Amino acid sequence: MDFGVFLQTCLNATYASSYLALVAVGLVLIFGVMRVVNFAHGELYMAGAYCLFWVFYQNELPFFAGVAVAVLAVAVVGLFLERTMFRPMKDNPLGGLICSIGALLVLQAGAVSLFGVRKKSFAGPYNEAVTLFGIDALTISGQRLVVIAFAVVLLGALWTFLRRSRFGWALRAVAQDSEAAALQGISISRISMLAMILGAALAGVAGALTATIVPTGPYMGHPVIIGAFIVIIVGGLGSLEGAVIASVLYAFTHTFVTTLFDGTIADITGLVLMLIVLVVRPHGLLGKPERA
Amino acid sequence: MTFGSIDRRKFIGTSALAGAAAATAVNPGRLRADETVRIGFLAPLTGGVAAWGLPGLYGCEIWAEQKNAAGGIDIGGTSYNVEIVSYDNEYLPDKARTGAQKLINEDGVSFIEMLGGDTMPAVTPIANRAEMLVSTLLPSDLSPDTPFLVAPAEVHPIYNLTGVWWMAENMPEAKTAVICAQDDALGRPSVATYLAAFEAHGIEVKDTIFFDIATTDFAPVMTAMLAHKPDILCLDTAYAEFVNELCKQAFVQNYGGQIISCTADFYADIIANTSEEFMEGVIFQFPDFDDPALNAEGINFNDPNGFFEVYNERHPGQWGAVSWEYASILDLWLDGAQKAGSIEPAAVLDGMKQGGTGAHAFGEANWWGEELFGIDNALVGNWPVVQIQNGKAVIVEFKNIPEWWDEHSATMIKHFEAMGEMWYQRA
Repeated sequence: MDFGVFLQTCLNATYASSYLALVAVGLVLIFGVMRVVNFAHGELYMAGAYCLFWVFYQNELPFFAGVAVAVLAVAVVGLFLERTMFRPMKDNPLGGLICSIGALLVLQAGAVSLFGVRKKSFAGPYNEAVTLFGIDALTISGQRLVVIAFAVVLLGALWTFLRRSRFGWALRAVAQDSEAAALQGISISRISMLAMILGAALAGVAGALTATIVPTGPYMGHPVIIGAFIVIIVGGLGSLEGAVIASVLYAFTHTFVTTLFDGTIADITGLVLMLIVLVVRPHGLLGKPERA
Repeated sequence: MTFGSIDRRKFIGTSALAGAAAATAVNPGRLRADETVRIGFLAPLTGGVAAWGLPGLYGCEIWAEQKNAAGGIDIGGTSYNVEIVSYDNEYLPDKARTGAQKLINEDGVSFIEMLGGDTMPAVTPIANRAEMLVSTLLPSDLSPDTPFLVAPAEVHPIYNLTGVWWMAENMPEAKTAVICAQDDALGRPSVATYLAAFEAHGIEVKDTIFFDIATTDFAPVMTAMLAHKPDILCLDTAYAEFVNELCKQAFVQNYGGQIISCTADFYADIIANTSEEFMEGVIFQFPDFDDPALNAEGINFNDPNGFFEVYNERHPGQWGAVSWEYASILDLWLDGAQKAGSIEPAAVLDGMKQGGTGAHAFGEANWWGEELFGIDNALVGNWPVVQIQNGKAVIVEFKNIPEWWDEHSATMIKHFEAMGEMWYQRA
């Protein structure tokens, strides 16, 4: 691999890390607080992409208006799921999982009926290629740079929120030990709602930002959720920092293997990476072992 | 008793006439046909491969509507209305199996049209047992174990050689190529065809890159391709949205060479996502049917320009590679049924293959395939080479596949064997 290809591959991997981290961190938040493996998370990502398609492409409104609508709409969908499915099933983890699979199918069918089966491929407002630092090999579309910038800002803001705000402390407390948090007067219901809104909004923003980069279709959430599950397992279930680190690790591995070999081998490598982590460190890179 | 100024007898008579006229307007021709023949359409109508199913169903519906409007089809002295019965297999083998059983056992169809590929092995035993005539767009599905399967419209991937052949004649400066393909039953035989065609015409293939069908980000794939600095990017038989994304990435990563692809469905979208200059000269294999070249003598598709117009009126922006193909198979099926004087599948198959030739959409063609597929059930003749010129798909030449085969068959068989795609290598 010559140096130019190496640089280009690093740039490709940085973009992949960014959107994957946004999706995976949302998934971790939901799992950490509610103990629900949300299989419909990929469809929340898909819903964000369609919101952008509807606002920006079909109604010709500004791109960032589309992003804002996606965040709000998907957060509302998340809230709806939490109130109608996950909360009634809070004592039944399997029930929550099954409900999320049902939500996945409903959201897919909804997208098909609203927008049809054909994938939408449309250009964003920042589609032009940008050459970084005057190096030809470092060429990326402006749209991808927007995704990277958003991921850095949003994940930084989330980290600050969780570390510096009362809600953030409460959320972390519930994630660590919900019973102890409840004894301290923290409302588990409110925190669950907050986690779901935040997690869904992150998926929505990731979908909206990438809608002009990947084909937007009813089933676009499927490969994303597989990648996100690998990431949260590698990073450690419930660890936000682990999810970010694992996103970078997974995306760089996958992208480099795709470039050096091919995409099929890259998929296998991603799964092998997960298996190795499970064998060597079953609780993931930054996860904590379950207490007996 | 009168109703205003109209008496009862007049009212009944007028009502009956109006009713008959309304029925004729809603379903023209139905009153004249004696019976109904049902044709099964078993292809992906939803999911990632829907672009190669649903637009074809639209074409068949127009075909059936036009035949019914003309009083139905006459087979063996009986007039039939045509009814298309569709089943969405989502390109999943299990669904295809269920669909085949339903179409044969419950719907009583006389013929089944399929896309083929990954879904065909699930259907073959059912079709064989019922001796049901089935068509595929992918002759790579054919083998001696599929005696009731025909590939009468599309000789995928063999026709891809015509694009390379034309390019070698008209762009001799292009000497190196890189191929990328999704790793599936569509991608792999197509790679074998492109490898053979490039070799036959002295073009060096620097690399072949396979990617998973679930791929959404094509930046790494394109980076890997461009690392070889090829004169030609070959996108193989990538699915419609993959072609779009690959072109977007080639554009962003500053590629300035030639692109060849099996399809460029919805190419207006690709141009919108890149630029007209970038897409200028792209070669592929599927014409728009408003192309004047399709009005030439020897073209067997009935009124291609009119069909294209009706299609685009009904389904704007949905014209793609398969829009005409399933309809053209219905033409060949009808021809076979009329020759046989029957709609019985086995008789129609005999009728279709009568004389060893058939009226393919792009001209008279031969039933062929023994060497490559182990059975002469593919209808092979001319195929168009299409190029994007000033933002519009234009047929630049028709090439004759058997002519190429006579000279380069050994090369093709070599690459099919290397890819494990010969009929005797397939499970």
